[in-house]
Amino acid sequence: MIRQRKDRTPQGYLQHLTRLGPILGFALLVIASGCSRESKVEIATREKILIMGNGAEPKALDPHIVSSVGDSNILRALFEGLVAYHPTNDMLHEPGVAERWEANEDFSEWTFYLRKNAKWSNGDPVTAHDFIYSYNRILHPEMAAPYSSMLYFLKNAEEFNKGEIKDFSKVGVKAEGDFTLICKLKGPTPYFPDVVKHTTWLPVHGPTIEKFGNITDPYTEWQKPGNHVSNGAFILTAWRINAYVKVRRNPNYWDGANVKPNGIDFKPIDNVFTEEKAFRNGLLHYTYVLPENLIAKYKEASDPRLRTETYAGSYFYRCNVDQAPTDNVSFRRALAYAIDQETIVEFVTRGGQQPAYGFTPPSKAGYDPPKIIAFDPEKARLHLKEAGYESGSDVPEFTVIINTSEAHKSIAVAIQDMWKKHLGIEKVKIENQEWKVFQQTVHDTNYEVSRAGWIGDYVDPNTFLSMWVSGDSNNNTGWSNAEFDRLMEESGLISDPAQRYATLKEAERILLNDLPILPIYWYTRTYLIHPDVKNWHPLLLDNHPYKYIDLVSEEDKEEVRP
Amino acid sequence: MISGIHQRESEAIEKGSSLGRDSWLRLRKNRLAMTSLWFFVTVVVICFLLPIFSFVPDPNVTFPELQSAPAFSTATSVDGIEVYYLFGSDHLGRDIFSRILYGGRVSLAVGFLATAVSLTIGVAYGALSGYIGGKVDAAMMRIVDILYALPFMIIVIILTTYFGNNLWLLFVCIGAVEWLTMARIVRGQVISLKNQEFVEAARSLGLSQWRIIFRHLIPNTIGPVIVYTTLTVPAVMRLEAILSFLGLGVQPPDASWGSLIKEGADRMASDPGLLVYPAIIFALTLFSLNFLGDGLRDALDPKSSKD
Repeated sequence: MIRQRKDRTPQGYLQHLTRLGPILGFALLVIASGCSRESKVEIATREKILIMGNGAEPKALDPHIVSSVGDSNILRALFEGLVAYHPTNDMLHEPGVAERWEANEDFSEWTFYLRKNAKWSNGDPVTAHDFIYSYNRILHPEMAAPYSSMLYFLKNAEEFNKGEIKDFSKVGVKAEGDFTLICKLKGPTPYFPDVVKHTTWLPVHGPTIEKFGNITDPYTEWQKPGNHVSNGAFILTAWRINAYVKVRRNPNYWDGANVKPNGIDFKPIDNVFTEEKAFRNGLLHYTYVLPENLIAKYKEASDPRLRTETYAGSYFYRCNVDQAPTDNVSFRRALAYAIDQETIVEFVTRGGQQPAYGFTPPSKAGYDPPKIIAFDPEKARLHLKEAGYESGSDVPEFTVIINTSEAHKSIAVAIQDMWKKHLGIEKVKIENQEWKVFQQTVHDTNYEVSRAGWIGDYVDPNTFLSMWVSGDSNNNTGWSNAEFDRLMEESGLISDPAQRYATLKEAERILLNDLPILPIYWYTRTYLIHPDVKNWHPLLLDNHPYKYIDLVSEEDKEEVRP
Repeated sequence: MISGIHQRESEAIEKGSSLGRDSWLRLRKNRLAMTSLWFFVTVVVICFLLPIFSFVPDPNVTFPELQSAPAFSTATSVDGIEVYYLFGSDHLGRDIFSRILYGGRVSLAVGFLATAVSLTIGVAYGALSGYIGGKVDAAMMRIVDILYALPFMIIVIILTTYFGNNLWLLFVCIGAVEWLTMARIVRGQVISLKNQEFVEAARSLGLSQWRIIFRHLIPNTIGPVIVYTTLTVPAVMRLEAILSFLGLGVQPPDASWGSLIKEGADRMASDPGLLVYPAIIFALTLFSLNFLGDGLRDALDPKSSKD
């Protein structure tokens, strides 16, 4: 016992030690911060890995299941369609799996000549049969793909999808040999190469899918890293839920020599504020969005990393037309006219968006959408009376559902208060749902009013209007109008563009008259991008082909200059 | 005469001081605890009474054009409505001061409600377990141990998803999870009390077991119970704040202190006031409850008192 006491460390030493502690800690901190001076982004640039913020967690990595922009961003890296996106202009085409393609004189039959050196990531050749297999899969009624209507351009595709035809060989697509694909369409479609660029037209590897389940099984093991087989410039190497999806160079890609980045990390960050912080701390090359309160700040500083671009998209609310109170046209009109879109654009979203007076965003392509809906509280109150409500307090409670995001919440709260201010509607609830849950709720039409955004799939008003045809897999409102359907059908058979646009405009007028939707604004893309990212050009549809994007450190350049 | 003297004497004898009076006197000497008590009472009164008066604006009325107004400023909206912002306005032009008051109502009410539930369950469970003793006690306490082992946050998140938007029901559930420590404390107290003479006296008078537990034992555990209660209220409020911070608590446009702090934290780069004001008030309230609990512990437990 006594010896032990003697052996104790002398007090003086202890005191030194306590003083030494903070000094040592501080020194360590300095060393540590010195070591991590090279940020994640700088390391990634050196390794030529692009790190992108990508909104919410992807629903799937299967082109036949997804329907959101964020998911298709990942799929564009993994797969390559017949035609690929052009790096600078959405109207131009790049050869993808097809080397060249041609149409008959009225654009209703297209022949694609596939390159012979295109390979899947496991080494199998990509053939015309792979495309037919994929079209069969997405159109199969048992697959219930949310976006199958994108393939309705093909003859008999709609009938097969709805189960009216059981035999897939009647659908207008066939292979001639292994490397020629012929698509017979429902009507003249001069913009068909634009259509086949879309995610839904991407091929999938049949043997891989059937190794892990039936052709129509939607969520199987084949989407896991290691199992996933794709034909694009990159392959899936890692996927951790809510952390990242990592894709790396595909050694079997036919154009591998021209693929500039070595890989891409997609980060699902659904909190816009967190994403901006991550960018500022050197964790991201690119943000998916930018919170509205910071747009002004970046603008003031005229920060070169801030980009604002036109984006062909429409932000709106869907109304369930089969459920009270939104089943009443007058009531929907009252809601639409009571939304002060200009205030929302100017003070709530603050990103230079345009108030949406109709649905299809105006574009330079020649289509001028009807502009009918504009904020008018008087008119809104009249419509409310017409709907049978003396005052807003008689309106039964209904819920607006939004997917979790501060931006959507702010807009919803502002609109909720506008309805209260201008119509006196007190009982509006706002409910937020996680993105995957939200998509399912909307798909099941299990809501009264839901937030929605629609980005054009190709540069043509048809991409905005065809979704409102009765029973379309993206309609999700229950709305159906025979006259609208007829006009859309008719427009598909017209080859003269001016005449076709006139018909589409007439159809849109019906849509805006019945208002299964409440238009809010037309999108702009506002985001931050690191100066190291090269060849990232503004695109109307924002579908960047990743293989052209280069990562060059700005600092290296400066060192070279002197 | 004689009877008169006797009366006076017995008065003097009976005028011992009760536990409550004693502790109150002791608590009054603790300045920190008293300040906390008054602060807390003021916060509660302001939150629950002030919104009745019309000069506090509706917390959910938006004036998007008046966004990010500074504190102590007056602004006029497009419709010509003049608004005075005591603590400034948020990104939709809502009054932060009024949102803090209304948010305080939710946070405080939730704190009290969940604590009341946990108090009821915990005291009854602990007292029964301690009094009956033996195998029943062992079994009841093992159940508590098992519940302790479950990850608390995950249970609450599951409950939130299950009960969806119903905030009140959810906090009844939180109370139903929070009672475990209370049950242990009460059990310990009851075990040490149940063999004392006053219980034996009650038993020999033929009182029923229920009466003994609820009239004689539980009132004697009141000291630790009150202390623990004052510490549970801030714990539950903090939990509500965490849940709101995760987006699981109140639904927009309503607010609680937690959700206000979350919104503020998101926007602190552009409007620091959104974060600072609710955070200060929330922190002060939590501090005051904790100091009060500390003071009560000293006051109610004569053994640990310093004088």
